[in-house]
Amino acid sequence: MDEQFPDQLFRLMSEYAHPEALVSTEWVAGHLDEPGIRLVESNEDILLYSTGHIPGAVHIDWRADLQDQTIRDYISPEAFAALCSKNGIGPDTTVIFYGDKSNWWACYALWAFRLFGHEKVKIMDGGRDKWISEGRPLTREVPAYPTAEYPVPAKRHDDDIRAFFEDTLAHAKARKPLIDVRSPGEFAGEITHMPEYPQEGVLRGGHVPGAKSVPWKRATRDDATFKSADELRAIYEGEAGLKPGDDVIAYCRIGERSSHTWFVLTYLLGYEKVRNYDGSWTEWGNRVRAPIERGA
Amino acid sequence: MYPPKLQQIVDLFEALPDMEKRETLITYADQAKSQAPREGETFDLEDVRKDEECTDTVGIFLKVGPDRSTHFRVTLGPQVQTLTKAMTSILCKGLEGATIEEVLEVPSDFVPKIVGADLVRQRSQTVYYILTRMKSAATVWRNRDRAAA
Repeated sequence: MDEQFPDQLFRLMSEYAHPEALVSTEWVAGHLDEPGIRLVESNEDILLYSTGHIPGAVHIDWRADLQDQTIRDYISPEAFAALCSKNGIGPDTTVIFYGDKSNWWACYALWAFRLFGHEKVKIMDGGRDKWISEGRPLTREVPAYPTAEYPVPAKRHDDDIRAFFEDTLAHAKARKPLIDVRSPGEFAGEITHMPEYPQEGVLRGGHVPGAKSVPWKRATRDDATFKSADELRAIYEGEAGLKPGDDVIAYCRIGERSSHTWFVLTYLLGYEKVRNYDGSWTEWGNRVRAPIERGA
Repeated sequence: MYPPKLQQIVDLFEALPDMEKRETLITYADQAKSQAPREGETFDLEDVRKDEECTDTVGIFLKVGPDRSTHFRVTLGPQVQTLTKAMTSILCKGLEGATIEEVLEVPSDFVPKIVGADLVRQRSQTVYYILTRMKSAATVWRNRDRAAA
């Protein structure tokens, strides 16, 4: 139990594996000026931060800040250190992520921080929508923090929490657990993009052979908070057949929705070997001769 | 090249550095709600629907004057993205008074000049959606007008 976050005692009630990985909106509201903490907003809506954000929060954009702008990959350790430094984030800073869409992009940013070995990461449960629905304050004032010293990470932890095409193919051939977190229509191959989103250039529809369909949104309640551990176990273990100790790969379209599921399995259910296949369906569905299954 | 009011907005954005472009987009987004139909207004065409290209329902309301000048009003569902809100205000103001033919001929190349190439690249569908819907409404009106002639 992280003593820095005593209000999370109530989380033990729900028996999350790592209750310290979540903070409530109430806790954040009471600790806005606490040193050693940095709030980071990450959204799908690229201009949303500028319309108003939690006082003191900085903005990290999943695409402009965390991804390489030329090669389809994440930024280098040097660029990550510079990003943290300019946002006043040191290696010991506790970074609390929140955002729109039930923290979908916040989980993506958190996963990217973990790629670089940043340990102290948390999600504000319920995200931006819950903060606003509770009538809590927003500001348009962009904070300026003194530059922090952030040593360049020795490596990116791709091997630990990231899966590539070859990993996923080997996983499918070995019939190891694969979780497809896209919508049922995408899983079945009826559509090649999210409902309500544009088709983004995938040539084939369907899913990785052997994958189980568990849409990411099933892990959240209507108020954007995560479901209880018991409810999550019923979904991922009762329905999808995962077992503690399983070696799991999750994927979606570009690795964003699956980072939400990665967070759920890793932090809330305590699975120790979960990887996010960020190439996901935009790679698999375009890859020549990649095996595909169709149907629910 | 563009209807005069839209040209003024394009000129304004082109003179701004990127940071101020974003701030100006937010200012336009803030005004999106005021583009909704007002009490007592009537329209020649109403097109309210939810498309795959947009995250929420968008309503396009078109009034055409005797001189074929257009007056657009737009309603947006709560989940619509900020960039779509900004484009709504920009287009309602920029196309005010333009003729049906001028609306249909507006080239979409003004969009990168307003929002910047980066945002177009990252949100390519979003930034063109409202213009597409307005042109769609204008097309329907023109076809009805031709059929009635």
